[in-house]
Amino acid sequence: MGLVVVTVRRRSVAVGFLTAQALVLVGVALHQATSGADVVAAVVLAARAIALAALFYALVARTRESRPVRASVAPLGRAGAAVTLALVLTWLVPTIGLASRNAERGVIALVAFGMVAVAVRRATLFQIMGVVLVENGLALAALELPGVSSLAIEIGVALDLTLVVLVAAVFHERIFAEFGSGDSAALRTLRD
Amino acid sequence: MTSRELLAVALLLAPALTAAAVALVSPGLVERVAFAGALVTGGLAFALAAVALGDPNGSVVGTWIVVDPAAGLLVGVIGLVGLASVLVSPAFLSSARSSLVPANRSERLYFVLLYCFWAILLAVPLAGNLGAAWLLVEATTAASALLVGFSGKGRALEAGWKYLILTSLGLGVALLGVVLLAAGVPGGGLGALSWHALTTYSAAESGALVAYLLLLAGLAAKIGFAPVHNWLPDAHAEAPPPVSALLSAALLPAVLVVVWRCEQALAPVIGARTAQSVLIAFGLVSLLVAVPFLWQAMAWKRLLAYSSLEHMGVLALGIGFATPLAIAGAVIHVVGHAIAKALGFYAATPLLAHDSRAGGHEVTGIGRTRPALGASMGLSLGALSGLPPSPLFVSEVLIVAGGFEAGRSWAAAAAAVLLSLGFLGLAHALLETTVGKAHRREAGRLPGLRGLRILAAVSLVLLLVLAAAGFWLPDTALVDALRRGIS
Repeated sequence: MGLVVVTVRRRSVAVGFLTAQALVLVGVALHQATSGADVVAAVVLAARAIALAALFYALVARTRESRPVRASVAPLGRAGAAVTLALVLTWLVPTIGLASRNAERGVIALVAFGMVAVAVRRATLFQIMGVVLVENGLALAALELPGVSSLAIEIGVALDLTLVVLVAAVFHERIFAEFGSGDSAALRTLRD
Repeated sequence: MTSRELLAVALLLAPALTAAAVALVSPGLVERVAFAGALVTGGLAFALAAVALGDPNGSVVGTWIVVDPAAGLLVGVIGLVGLASVLVSPAFLSSARSSLVPANRSERLYFVLLYCFWAILLAVPLAGNLGAAWLLVEATTAASALLVGFSGKGRALEAGWKYLILTSLGLGVALLGVVLLAAGVPGGGLGALSWHALTTYSAAESGALVAYLLLLAGLAAKIGFAPVHNWLPDAHAEAPPPVSALLSAALLPAVLVVVWRCEQALAPVIGARTAQSVLIAFGLVSLLVAVPFLWQAMAWKRLLAYSSLEHMGVLALGIGFATPLAIAGAVIHVVGHAIAKALGFYAATPLLAHDSRAGGHEVTGIGRTRPALGASMGLSLGALSGLPPSPLFVSEVLIVAGGFEAGRSWAAAAAAVLLSLGFLGLAHALLETTVGKAHRREAGRLPGLRGLRILAAVSLVLLLVLAAAGFWLPDTALVDALRRGIS
């Protein structure tokens, strides 16, 4: 699902997959819940997923592109870059203490996919989704911690992310209004 | 709750309540409420700083709040720059031609955002655990990004966008480091992320090192260390001048304090020399990247932004060398840089009214056409360049000497060479800006010039006092307490 955000052309499809991914995380959180605090943390994750999905779909509807913003790298190239970065990071980063090695690989892959989405996608909405993808990976890491995680921190992270995405949404709309497109290629005037 | 903690809570509530009040009062009262809130917040910040620095061994370390000398130092600096930024804001707003919202709402939005940013900034050095510190640093991004793009112009939107995306991504990487640390500390939960508990990290040493590197790499994006500094010159140049002052003089060192706390907490686990070496490397690379830009002719605020990159590098070296001389140098550098840099950014408001090309081009001969403005800019640039008797000259000498004292001769020698080159670049800019070739410019009344004169006079006195402090500071209990950290 993370790879879809890196490769797919339609913004609404990417939002759908990103939301599905967040809801899978909610399922994992509920499955592993052993206390009331864990259930509250899962509910917070679910609220975050739904709020972000609503915001993203509203943005897609309010900022219709006259033609799709093409990334500078073709979909296959983007997928290759994302997978390569994920493999390199998995090879470089030693065991990080999560419940299983597969969970660690999943976390690293999501972080890598998010970074590649921000780096190679030109559409500003896809860049915001790249940041959310990274945060989804970190939410997975928090869920797979062997010890007790902190509810206060998890709620704080969810609120912070929502706040940052809200601000990014304001910027996306203003960029669309100013340049007639949510294309980050227009944002390259400041150079030394 | 101790009296220090109560004072800290009052300090955090003051700007937050002022933001709420500014949002609710009638339009005619916005400026007065903002001024009153600034005086209260500034007063509380100075009181807390005086208490924390006056008795450096009486630190209060709680789960949520830490009031120690490092927090006191930063709260004092953030309080000072925040107060001055609020006071000079009406001059900026009177000359602003556009904003993100219609003109009748722009003043209110500006002050609400500025107070939210100030409140969060004040909380960063007081955070009692790494998790809360991360949340606060991330929260500064949301408030300050809107301020960076406040004019709503294309260039400001570009700068704000870069700042938002790059720092959010960096902080995502830092959060991975936080998660890894939480996994390795016995007990888990919020307690595992307290500054004390991080010293008990018991998983593999390599895990702690990876977590530390991720934390530093992520937070480096926010501090503006090279090579992850790309947002810094754009955001500082395009933000409203009072906000640029807060970004450079308050935000960057506040995040650096979080890095310093991490370094001190993890030093027993990964080794003090390793932890410090990473900081020294960031410091040297930042200097190396900054110096060529200091030699280029560029717009005033952009020049100040690259100077921020240089000065954050110097601070990283001071913390990395970690000897009494180096830490005393870092203390003087944080305060001196804040005063000089804030003054420089405040000068941008009358400067842009005097010469509208100054936003995108270098300015020369300001001292010839506007002596008071030129003198303020000269004072700022002279101090930032390290021209004696600037406190930044004293601090840089102390930090380099501290490097030799720490047995890091190569790093100290490289820093000395790079600082000398940086000095030459800024000294050239100082001469061009003040007594270079003058052009025809606006001759009318300049917004904010009267306030700038007062600020320049106050800054001059503070800078001279600070330079004198360099002679006795290294042997004080304050420097001892700062070196120990939260032990």
